[in-house]
Amino acid sequence: MDLAFTPDELAFRDEIRTWVKDNLPADISQKVHAAMRLTRDDMQRWAKILGKKGWLGWGWPTQFGGPGWTAVQKHLFEEECALAGAPRVVPFGPVMVAPVIMAFGNAEQHKRFLPGIASGEVWWSQGYSEPGSGSDLASLKTRAERVGDKYIVNGQKTWTTLGQYGEWIFCLVRTSTEGKPQTGISFLLIDMKSPGITVRPIKLLDGECEVNEVWFDNVEVPAENLIGEENKGWNYAKHLLAHERTNIADVNRAKRELERLKRIAKAEGVYDDLRFRDEIAKLEVDIVALEMLVLRVLSAEKSGKNSLDIAGLLKIKGSEIQQRYTELMMQAAGPFALPFIFEAMDAGWQGNFPGGVVANAPLAANYFNMRKTTIYGGSNEVQRNIVAQTVLG
Amino acid sequence: MDFDFSDDQEQLRDAVRKWVDKGYDFERRRAIVAAGGFDRSAYGELAELGLTGLYVSEDHGGMGMGPTEAMVTMEELGRGIVLEPLSQTLIASATLQTHAPADLQAAWLPRMAAGEAIVVLAHQERGARYQLNRCAALANESGGQWSVTGTKSVVAAGDQADAYVVPAMANGQLALFLVERSASGVSTQAYGTQDGARAAEVVLNKAPAQLITLNGLVALEEAVDIGIACVCAEAVGVMDKTLAITVDYMNTRKQFGVNIASFQALRHRVADMKMQLELGRSMSYYATLKLHAPAEERRRAMARAKYQLGVSMRFIGQQAVQLHGGIAVTDEYIVSHYFKKLTQLDMTFGDTLHQLGEVSARMQETAGVFA
Repeated sequence: MDLAFTPDELAFRDEIRTWVKDNLPADISQKVHAAMRLTRDDMQRWAKILGKKGWLGWGWPTQFGGPGWTAVQKHLFEEECALAGAPRVVPFGPVMVAPVIMAFGNAEQHKRFLPGIASGEVWWSQGYSEPGSGSDLASLKTRAERVGDKYIVNGQKTWTTLGQYGEWIFCLVRTSTEGKPQTGISFLLIDMKSPGITVRPIKLLDGECEVNEVWFDNVEVPAENLIGEENKGWNYAKHLLAHERTNIADVNRAKRELERLKRIAKAEGVYDDLRFRDEIAKLEVDIVALEMLVLRVLSAEKSGKNSLDIAGLLKIKGSEIQQRYTELMMQAAGPFALPFIFEAMDAGWQGNFPGGVVANAPLAANYFNMRKTTIYGGSNEVQRNIVAQTVLG
Repeated sequence: MDFDFSDDQEQLRDAVRKWVDKGYDFERRRAIVAAGGFDRSAYGELAELGLTGLYVSEDHGGMGMGPTEAMVTMEELGRGIVLEPLSQTLIASATLQTHAPADLQAAWLPRMAAGEAIVVLAHQERGARYQLNRCAALANESGGQWSVTGTKSVVAAGDQADAYVVPAMANGQLALFLVERSASGVSTQAYGTQDGARAAEVVLNKAPAQLITLNGLVALEEAVDIGIACVCAEAVGVMDKTLAITVDYMNTRKQFGVNIASFQALRHRVADMKMQLELGRSMSYYATLKLHAPAEERRRAMARAKYQLGVSMRFIGQQAVQLHGGIAVTDEYIVSHYFKKLTQLDMTFGDTLHQLGEVSARMQETAGVFA
């Protein structure tokens, strides 16, 4: 039992800290620290800086060109990036599809797809959810029919995050209606420039178009874009979930945002209001407890000694915390979080924000946006089903 | 960063668990409660396991172990809702060992390690609630002999202990003293507590006392923090067992023709109990591993930990009763006793609201496990 990181781990952290300080563009980190709107270019610029260093695929093993870091090193890397105000890496390429391609793709696919993901050149999107398949994802209906050396894809995906920028999309598609729904699903990589694909952004409650609908109308996909075996796609997708254990808790970002919450509360004069301050204190304990939970999972991964049944808790608690800090920030601003001026959420806006503090401009939008966290990635109710299954059988 | 237990620590856990399972079953506990809530022979069995000397150095006949071993032990005693207050022994022995003059250590530590002497912390006063710096008891020195006058409340096993660690004001400064129960001017009024254990009001009237330290507030804060870490670990054991009992019950109790474990409304409560248990366990580890941190950092950590454990204990206790239904509000069934233990532990060494206030007052710009 020891809380401290090893000297090697601390040295590693210092190395990362220095590198991030030297390489993270100041205009980007300023936006992140103030929760201002990030453009496609902002996200892409940081991704390519990481890519050039070989760290965009920071979770990758060395055989695929990754740094081969331990679970603790990955955590420390994520922490340093978050605390410095780096944008969250868009996960669909390096975090989500790449591990599936590595584990289940063939050598040809490795060569074809991984370099573009590692460098940040190619923007990937995820095609999982459908209008009729949310929590019950296995009921998905988008159909891929094998004709010669092609698949013909028809159907509709939705909630495709940042799909308007997507160049490639990895999809779960139905290749069979035999047997259980899970056994008729395949994992297909699709070029989004293919004829027959239509992307329509969905405007959300915060005024942004963060997600999209994606239609497939007789889209031809070469059969060589199938990952692994036909009808095994569900298993590959589950493998992907296993790669998202501690990352999904996002505790490092929560620590950064707790600092911002305190700054806002002080600026708005509610930090010394004990009724408000106690709410911050509760959140602080929540965040420390979540961090301990994350460290326990990392320790278990490191030693491989004890099997932990607590990883499923990380998503529930992490998402609740994300919602809570955005809610408290908005409440701290109170009436001055009411003005909803779309342009004021862009860095460098020169107008007069009502109430005088432009830092309050994005607070309501951030709060609205974070409502998604308890819904996506398996709703928190589905997560509770899973946790209950491990406890009750 | 490593949360694995060593082989020695696992062996210690097994030994304590074995004693709890075989030597301290629910029937024995019930008999002890009926007989007043404290059993000297059960305490003696803890001593035979070496647990009363857990913190006592080997020079003084103890095991010279550290906070992690204390945590492991307290978790297991919590699983059995053991009444005898080993945490008090851990607090008192650590306090004497760190702060008392050598002769006082030599006089008491070996007997405490052997289980022959029980020393408990007698710090609570009616006017102070959980505030450690408020103290009405007065200490006077005359002719080289200290005496203490005051009333200490809800002192664990107060009429059974052989001596007390007592905070009292000495020339305007909080100091710590050792007062023997058999000394002149000491009287006790004993009673049962919520959880079936035993406590007492201890009245000191010019009772002869031996000085532990004039730096009393520092020592008292350390003592209480050791107590908080003990309570957190004990709470984890109680909660762990409470959840296990509830799960067993839900998998056997049938209503509407099926096990009640099949109902989603109930399953989600269990998921939330598991969440609170693991948050609590995490913060118990945190408290234990911060016990040797610098005072300010340590105090902040203890407040965070005890707040989380308070939230977790209340939730798990109340949900366990609700999920059982009527059987849980009977005295006969075991879970009501776990519920009462959890209720009592929240109010031991600072309840949830008090600790929230401490966290709130101690907040800094940055926060996290390492800040």
